[in-house]
Amino acid sequence: MRDQEIDKILELAAQARHDVEPALLQRIAGSIKSSIAPVRPLPPAWMLASGLILICVSVALAGAARAGFHGIEKMTGWDRALIFPALGILAWLAAAGFVSEMIPGSRRRMAPKTLLAIGSLVLLGLFAVLFRDYRTHQFVSAGIVCLVTGVLHAVPAGLLGWCVLRRGFAVNSVAAGLVGGTLAGLAGVAMLELHCDNFQALHLLLWHTAVLPVSGAAGALLAWALRSRTSSGVGEGK
Amino acid sequence: MARYQEGDFAAATALIDCLSPQLHRFFVAQFASRRDADDLLQETWLRIHKVRHTYRPGEPVLPWFYAIARHVRVDHYRKAMRTAAHEERLEAMSEVEAAIPGQSDRTDDLEALLAPLPEGQREVIEMLKVAGMSLEEVARATSSSVGSVKQKAHRAYKTLRVKVAAMGRGLS
Repeated sequence: MRDQEIDKILELAAQARHDVEPALLQRIAGSIKSSIAPVRPLPPAWMLASGLILICVSVALAGAARAGFHGIEKMTGWDRALIFPALGILAWLAAAGFVSEMIPGSRRRMAPKTLLAIGSLVLLGLFAVLFRDYRTHQFVSAGIVCLVTGVLHAVPAGLLGWCVLRRGFAVNSVAAGLVGGTLAGLAGVAMLELHCDNFQALHLLLWHTAVLPVSGAAGALLAWALRSRTSSGVGEGK
Repeated sequence: MARYQEGDFAAATALIDCLSPQLHRFFVAQFASRRDADDLLQETWLRIHKVRHTYRPGEPVLPWFYAIARHVRVDHYRKAMRTAAHEERLEAMSEVEAAIPGQSDRTDDLEALLAPLPEGQREVIEMLKVAGMSLEEVARATSSSVGSVKQKAHRAYKTLRVKVAAMGRGLS
């Protein structure tokens, strides 16, 4: 049995008429007639993604401006040249992914889980290569402060990002939450890189990088909780 | 679609008439009974109407429709499973299985042919071969990559080859 023969069988089966009751079609048409007002389509994807990037940059800069730009001041040229462009590229990928999750039928370039994994690995790789101070002075206490600070900055980035895409519709709200959380987490990491001058390798590898998976997981969990609560409604993702 | 977004009721009706049979068939192919498929179709159009602003003119239209239809079906399935889990506490498992929608009323040849396929493969074959969508369009509708769609189609064909060969042996 060859694929062409299967094709032919499927083709024949698909040609069989499949009618829908005219009364049902009329009922459907009738149900939308009263609210057939014109609607404004969503802006282009690049514009939405740019808006999300702008939000992340603003949140990171505002947070660092309030707390001080100690991190970026202490960094070498190489550190700056590698860390911030990498964060920018990851943020662009995450923003594009978030937009595509909020528009049905969009092309998905990367699965949200893959994006989160790649983002975390890129940060781990960069920190491992650039920072060689292996002391662990105040490892837990300083680390928790950084993790909380990063996640707290991810919250406004995530909320503002959701505002930008509030007119979208997530066909998979958990995936949208995961990628939205990842993007917000990148804003948190960017704020930490601008502010935190603790360059101990293990501190960066664990506590700074952890902001990304924690934010991503929080976004997915929040979306899952909202979906469970509103799964009977029509307005999911709105 | 653009005219529908502009508030043209005639365009909306034309879309409903044109796309409903294939969306209905999509639901029936996913093990929905005709009655469930009717409900799913109605719910899908309500959802489409509610989020019609998310369609961007110039983009392929079928992936947009199918992505929403798929979402409605998954939502419906999830609710059915919740109901079944609730009823499980009260009734025997066999009775609960009967309550899950779509286990009966399947008479169509295509649906019978696709029946042995897992859900993901069935929907890919349905979109590719019945709706006539391209690999890229199916990937968009299912939020996956073209590679993943190809892989599912390949596996589905493998299963179908065995099934059709078995049917042939049965007839001879």
